[in-house]
Amino acid sequence: MPTNTPVVEAINVKKTYMLGKVPVEALRGVNFHVAAGDFVSILGPSGSGKSTMLNLIGALDKPTSGQLLIDGVDIGTLSDNQLSELRLKIGFVFQFFNLIPRLTARDNVELAMSIAGVSKSQRRKHAVELLENVGLKDRINHKPAELSGGQQQRVAIARALANNPKFLLLDEPTGNVDSKTAAEVLSLLKKLNTEDGVSIIMVTHDEKLAKQARRTVKMFDGEICADEANGQ
Amino acid sequence: MRTLDIFGYSFSAIKLRKFRAALTTLGVIIGIAAIVALLSITQGLQATITSQLNQGLSADTLIVTAGGSAISGGGGGFGGFGGQTENSGFSLYTNYTQEIDALSPDIANSVAIISRSGYIVSENLNRSVTIYGVDYATYQSIYTNTFKAENGSIPTSPSMTEVVVGTRVNQPSQNGTVFFNTGDLVNVTWTNATVLPLRNETYIAQVSGVLGKIGGFGIGGPSDTGVYIPLEQAQSFFNTTQCDMIIVKLTNSDSATVDAVTKAITEHFSDQVSVISSTAVLSLLSTVFGTIQLFLGGIAAISLLVAGVGIMNIMIVSLIERTREIGILKALGMKSRTVLTIFLGESVIIGFIGAIIGILLGWALANVTATVLGEGGVIGGGSGAFSITPILTPEVILGSLAFGIGVSVIFALYPAWRASKLKPVDALRYE
Repeated sequence: MPTNTPVVEAINVKKTYMLGKVPVEALRGVNFHVAAGDFVSILGPSGSGKSTMLNLIGALDKPTSGQLLIDGVDIGTLSDNQLSELRLKIGFVFQFFNLIPRLTARDNVELAMSIAGVSKSQRRKHAVELLENVGLKDRINHKPAELSGGQQQRVAIARALANNPKFLLLDEPTGNVDSKTAAEVLSLLKKLNTEDGVSIIMVTHDEKLAKQARRTVKMFDGEICADEANGQ
Repeated sequence: MRTLDIFGYSFSAIKLRKFRAALTTLGVIIGIAAIVALLSITQGLQATITSQLNQGLSADTLIVTAGGSAISGGGGGFGGFGGQTENSGFSLYTNYTQEIDALSPDIANSVAIISRSGYIVSENLNRSVTIYGVDYATYQSIYTNTFKAENGSIPTSPSMTEVVVGTRVNQPSQNGTVFFNTGDLVNVTWTNATVLPLRNETYIAQVSGVLGKIGGFGIGGPSDTGVYIPLEQAQSFFNTTQCDMIIVKLTNSDSATVDAVTKAITEHFSDQVSVISSTAVLSLLSTVFGTIQLFLGGIAAISLLVAGVGIMNIMIVSLIERTREIGILKALGMKSRTVLTIFLGESVIIGFIGAIIGILLGWALANVTATVLGEGGVIGGGSGAFSITPILTPEVILGSLAFGIGVSVIFALYPAWRASKLKPVDALRYE
């Protein structure tokens, strides 16, 4: 259940890109927050600014103006190094999974922990637990190419959870899997949210999927046009 | 990220592209092997020559030749070597040995040497040799170990027609085929160039002794291809009272004595002689070899630089290929510094493996080359082929290792830096 502690808070966030010589306003003053334990979807068509929002919430980029607080820290004030450290607290699940092809499922999950400096014995044990938790017990030694799209997606989720992040951040989580797998992934996310209390932010253009979250933030043209709870 | 994990990750990246990594490493291997082979052969050659010189030029002997003071200081060059007068009309005479003997109590004795190119002719043999006129007894007292007959004897008061020869004179190929024995008569010939037209002068001598195998070469000392005739015979046969060098034997070999006697002799002859001591020759030799090593090592080092450029080239390609991977790593929270270290780690691994294999290969190459050179008798030529044993010093091993890794890392710096500077947003978008 959502609490009162915000994990993400956007205050009048603006982001302007230079597209060649033309400035493009991707975000025109966005305000919203995500409380710990919540399950929020950010919905919008392409060009609405949701990808920009995703990059900012993932601490991959900084806002042009305004404040974006992740776990209470304004990312605009952080150095590159500090941003890297902050990313350890964010469980990023990419649209194309972005697993390292030469590493097995377990090694991919372990990599996230090794970046955080976890010892070999600890991360080996934890990686197996995480993969079991997402239902990949018998696939831990397979490489991404030997896994189906849905299985890769779940490895990516296990990797995102590896360092006990403040929240999971998913980019089009069902964009590259069939509808049956999409349903499985979604039920996994719901389970993580309700049973394990993981905060989840999901960026998508799929209205049906967005409705599955507790709350949907609709974006259009760089602004938030609606922020509503989904009756379930 | 822990250091071991960083290296583990670097290693997994190398393993993915084994063939490419092997080719990159090959560059380092060739460079290091060239350095190690050239340096260990040169050092082996230096050691061989030094030890040969030490035989022929013991620390307690000085060689006096006419002309200049080029080497008397202990550095310089081989001035006036071979007995030619350079600037003045000064010449050495055989009876100067008496003057030299009287110069210092540190001088045990001295011997004058007259040398000419000539021939030994017997049945089935016409061999080009160097003929030395020496006082047998004195010469033997100075070169006790080498001027020693293996067959026959060295007469203490020889008749004019007696002759002593080195072992390669009557047995040139050292394979048991002997062209003449002690007691046999041979023709001793030289070409008199002081008269015109040139005239071959010959006399018949009886071989009274054949020296044991000496090996190598020496300055002034006995040689395997030398022919030794009594000094008086040389003076009348070559029609001269001048000599080419005087060997001075000292009572001890400490450098103070060497310096003092060198100075005394030089001053006695008003700076018109060169006095060569083994220390001076050896220090000159080590200078010469130092330069050769630097030169050869430098050439080999260039090939390593080429390998370095290869590493840089490959790493830039690899960086472009792995842009997305770098984006993922950064999105997962990896610091720029760690990305830099991963790329440098790859170059350290390549440099290390390349250097280790290169050192082994270079060492093998040096040994093969030394064997081939030794068998072919390329080195040492007519004066008796000698073998080179390549020397691999710890300095060369450690230096090659450091140089191999160093070059790899230096050329990886730029690609690694570029990788670390990639922005995660851009890198992730890269297809």
